[in-house]
Amino acid sequence: MKKILLFFISALFFLTSVSLSTKAIAQDRAHILKVYNWADYLDLSLIEEFEVWYKEQTGEDVKVRYSTFDINENMLTQIEVGHEDYDVVCPSEYIIERMLKRGLLQKIDTTDFVRTHTPNWLRNVAPFVAEKFQQMAPNDDDKFDLANPSLRVSDYAVGYMGGTTGFLYNTDFVEPEEVETWAALWNEKFQQKIYVKDAFRDVYSVLIQFAKYDDILSGQTTRDFEASNLSDANIKAVEDILIKARPQIAGWEADFGKERMTQGKAWVNLTWSGDAAWAIDEAAEVGCNLEYVVPQEGTNCWFDGWVIPIYAKNVRAASYWINFLCQSEVAIRNMDETGYVSVIGTPEVLEGMASEEDYPETVDVRYYFGDIVIPSVDEETGDTTWIDSKAAHLNHVLYPNIDVIERSILMHDTADRNEAMLEMWSHVKGNNLNWKMLSFILIVTALILLFFIDKKTRQWRKQRRRALRRLREVKKG
Amino acid sequence: MKKVFANAYIWILMLLLYAPILLILVFSFTEAKVLGTWTGFSTNLYRNLLMGEAGEALNNAIYNTVLIALVAAAVSTILGTFAAIGIHNMRHGRVRQAITFTNNIPMINPDIITGISIFLLFVFLGIGRGLFCVICAHIAFCTPYVVLNVMPQLMKMNPNLYEAALDLGATPMQALRKVIIPELKSGMISGFILAITLSVDDFAVTLFTKGSGTVETLSTYIYADARKGGLTPELRPLFSIIFLVILVLLVFYNLKTAKQTSNN
Amino acid sequence: MIRYMMSKILANRANWAWPYAIILTIFVIMPLVMIVYYSFQDAEGQWSLHNFHKFFLSTDSVNTLIYSIGIAMITTILCILLGYPAAYFMAKTEYRLPKVMASLFILPMWINVLLRTLATVALFDFAHLPLGEGALVFGMVYNFLPFMVYPIYNTMLKMDGSLIEAAQDLGASPRKVFTEVFLPLSMPGVYSGIVMVFMPTISTFALAELLTMNNVKLFGTLIQENINAGLLGYGAALSLIVLILIGLTSFFDSEE
Repeated sequence: MKKILLFFISALFFLTSVSLSTKAIAQDRAHILKVYNWADYLDLSLIEEFEVWYKEQTGEDVKVRYSTFDINENMLTQIEVGHEDYDVVCPSEYIIERMLKRGLLQKIDTTDFVRTHTPNWLRNVAPFVAEKFQQMAPNDDDKFDLANPSLRVSDYAVGYMGGTTGFLYNTDFVEPEEVETWAALWNEKFQQKIYVKDAFRDVYSVLIQFAKYDDILSGQTTRDFEASNLSDANIKAVEDILIKARPQIAGWEADFGKERMTQGKAWVNLTWSGDAAWAIDEAAEVGCNLEYVVPQEGTNCWFDGWVIPIYAKNVRAASYWINFLCQSEVAIRNMDETGYVSVIGTPEVLEGMASEEDYPETVDVRYYFGDIVIPSVDEETGDTTWIDSKAAHLNHVLYPNIDVIERSILMHDTADRNEAMLEMWSHVKGNNLNWKMLSFILIVTALILLFFIDKKTRQWRKQRRRALRRLREVKKG
Repeated sequence: MKKVFANAYIWILMLLLYAPILLILVFSFTEAKVLGTWTGFSTNLYRNLLMGEAGEALNNAIYNTVLIALVAAAVSTILGTFAAIGIHNMRHGRVRQAITFTNNIPMINPDIITGISIFLLFVFLGIGRGLFCVICAHIAFCTPYVVLNVMPQLMKMNPNLYEAALDLGATPMQALRKVIIPELKSGMISGFILAITLSVDDFAVTLFTKGSGTVETLSTYIYADARKGGLTPELRPLFSIIFLVILVLLVFYNLKTAKQTSNN
Repeated sequence: MIRYMMSKILANRANWAWPYAIILTIFVIMPLVMIVYYSFQDAEGQWSLHNFHKFFLSTDSVNTLIYSIGIAMITTILCILLGYPAAYFMAKTEYRLPKVMASLFILPMWINVLLRTLATVALFDFAHLPLGEGALVFGMVYNFLPFMVYPIYNTMLKMDGSLIEAAQDLGASPRKVFTEVFLPLSMPGVYSGIVMVFMPTISTFALAELLTMNNVKLFGTLIQENINAGLLGYGAALSLIVLILIGLTSFFDSEE
């Protein structure tokens, strides 16, 4: 008796404790910061450091509850439909645009920094990122009027990491000239050797520039116009390019492209610079030579940024979190950890990332760090070298030369054209249904039906025979 | 001759079934990040795993998986046993039919449908998803199997046993504890074990009910990992250990029962 | 008083099923009602047939469904062809530990399905076999075979041996005994095997993603993509289509 009761009680206790614990947390919400970030997108030891730092600055305790997502739309659904109370999230630029349009974001309040004498590190973000952010398309939605010059997108979103889209390729099999153009997708030499990132927005925004390259060169149209013009004709143009590339494409990778490249199973991967930098390092360890190039026709410059949704419950800690991440040292640590490139453009970052030994080639990154020359003192020899942002020894995958940026566009939200884009994408990815399969299905269905009809008629005949026999017996009797 | 053929067929099929698992076993003894490359023998992965150095995320996932499986299996065993006794004692009628029919639904439904339907319910009610939601969902799809395992035991039971116990002065609870439960024990145990197996193996239901991502189980952790391409190498020793433990338990348990039956 | 009422209620053991009936209502029936509810709602929350309209107009979605049915048929047939002899041999051969043999078929379930699938991918890479449709079918059969072997094996074990003996005594040839007596008697196992394998194969999603490098899309992937993209109504409508298909197949099953 007792045992059963105990069993019951303990089970009930389990359930109630689970529900109670969620309640307890709700009460303590002012001391919780819910951070929602991409997976593998932060040096996790920073979380604890932030908690300590926040206590130092504001005198208040905070506990970070860190969770991750791997699909933008998934995250957005949770906030928009589920009204989940994340305090600070890190979506991609086109989702930021959509969240702005739908009135899902609130301004990042920096006034409290003054009260606590906390430096405002948000200013560390490279100015060109704010410029790019401001390009988010104007629209007539009254919730957020992007055309209104007094409203600045950077009041609502602070850049975090960014990069470009290009080709990652294996130098053992691929000549650099072959991948200098997006036409490499058509090169028959790469049959079944190309992986394409399963991201239709990025693929569209780079390939439309390839499709319209002549017009762009002759000045008849602009990159930005074509990239945000999702007309049927434009979508069709990209679809045609991809259909022609189909024999070369071995797969559409969500994230496993890096691995296939490192294993040498694929030669070319249309991917993001961050993934490329990671793969190049990883591959070098096993003696596989990978390189990254941004084809000449153009690319997109993508960014992820921190925003505070309107359903946030701890807005203050959220703004401190964003501020904390904008420090130069923190940015460098995150870059080391994730392999992506931070949008922080301070001299400290330039000094931290530059290395003549690792990167003999130089890049012009004035657009990123401003036109500066800073001294760098070698700790061992005491020699001073000068780092010039005009010709800095940086990793060109992460910090592209100015010419790459000049031929880049910012991706826009395609919300109202999403269905057309998705349809194009599934056309391209292919319909696996063919006549063989269709006839197979028909034959099997026919056989099953025949089987049933046969069975039913047999049963029916049996019944009839039985009935006849009985009838005869009755007559005889 | 026939027997040789039969044996050969079974063993070849087994070999095919177990080939991927053997691969995991073998490659749990090398440190390479990528499954399928051999970088020399090493037991470091086992050490990392057992010392808890495989990363907090993995440890959390293991903890959540165990917690969810135990709670869900315990609740569904109790719930399912009572339900089976109830159904067994019901008159044959609409209500009984309705309950047995509904009981079959989670078993026939594909995981993804179960997951999405519960997800939609929580969205509709405006309740945030999370551990509670996952456990509820797991109870929902585990209990039918418990009912299914307990029912045959009830059928076998002498229907007069319970009444006899009551006539002899036992309270209903005493009768339950002293008479019914012992009779149903084997069914309850196999139901419990099946529930744990299903809960641990589940992926689709958890994926849709876990919500924000704070509650990762091993399945969802591996899914997120697999999409990234870099599978945490410590998963290989983890599942090698699980596999071997279950295998040993299985053989041991069956040897024991085989001995008992031969002794009898 | 309450105690008295409680004991009265509990005394009728039929009432013991009520807690479970409540749970079933909340977590099985209500969610299914939700699928129906959401599938008839458009993005603005109005009642409409928009989602079904959209489905039947989109060739890609319809093709994905048909293709998934095809793959599910292939998988189911292969599972029967491979699983039936296995169940037969297991039921007929006397093993020292018969239960262990049977359990060996479900033991792989303890290794996480995705990890097993990734190992299969590695295996294909080892053998230099291309990933794609073939790998997908292999992975599906591999994953669902236990669900076919088990019901068939169980039916065979429970089979009334005297019927077969009777047929033998009446002078039927071994082949005749098998086709006329044994096979029909084991069919219920095959039917429940089909139910256990066919529908889950249509709606798998992660397996196809991993085994074909995203080249093949099954209906499950389609559902998951739409739910992930926040198109709850459309996702629910696709789920409802799966539910209707399940209804149809289990109708065939109950006909038996």
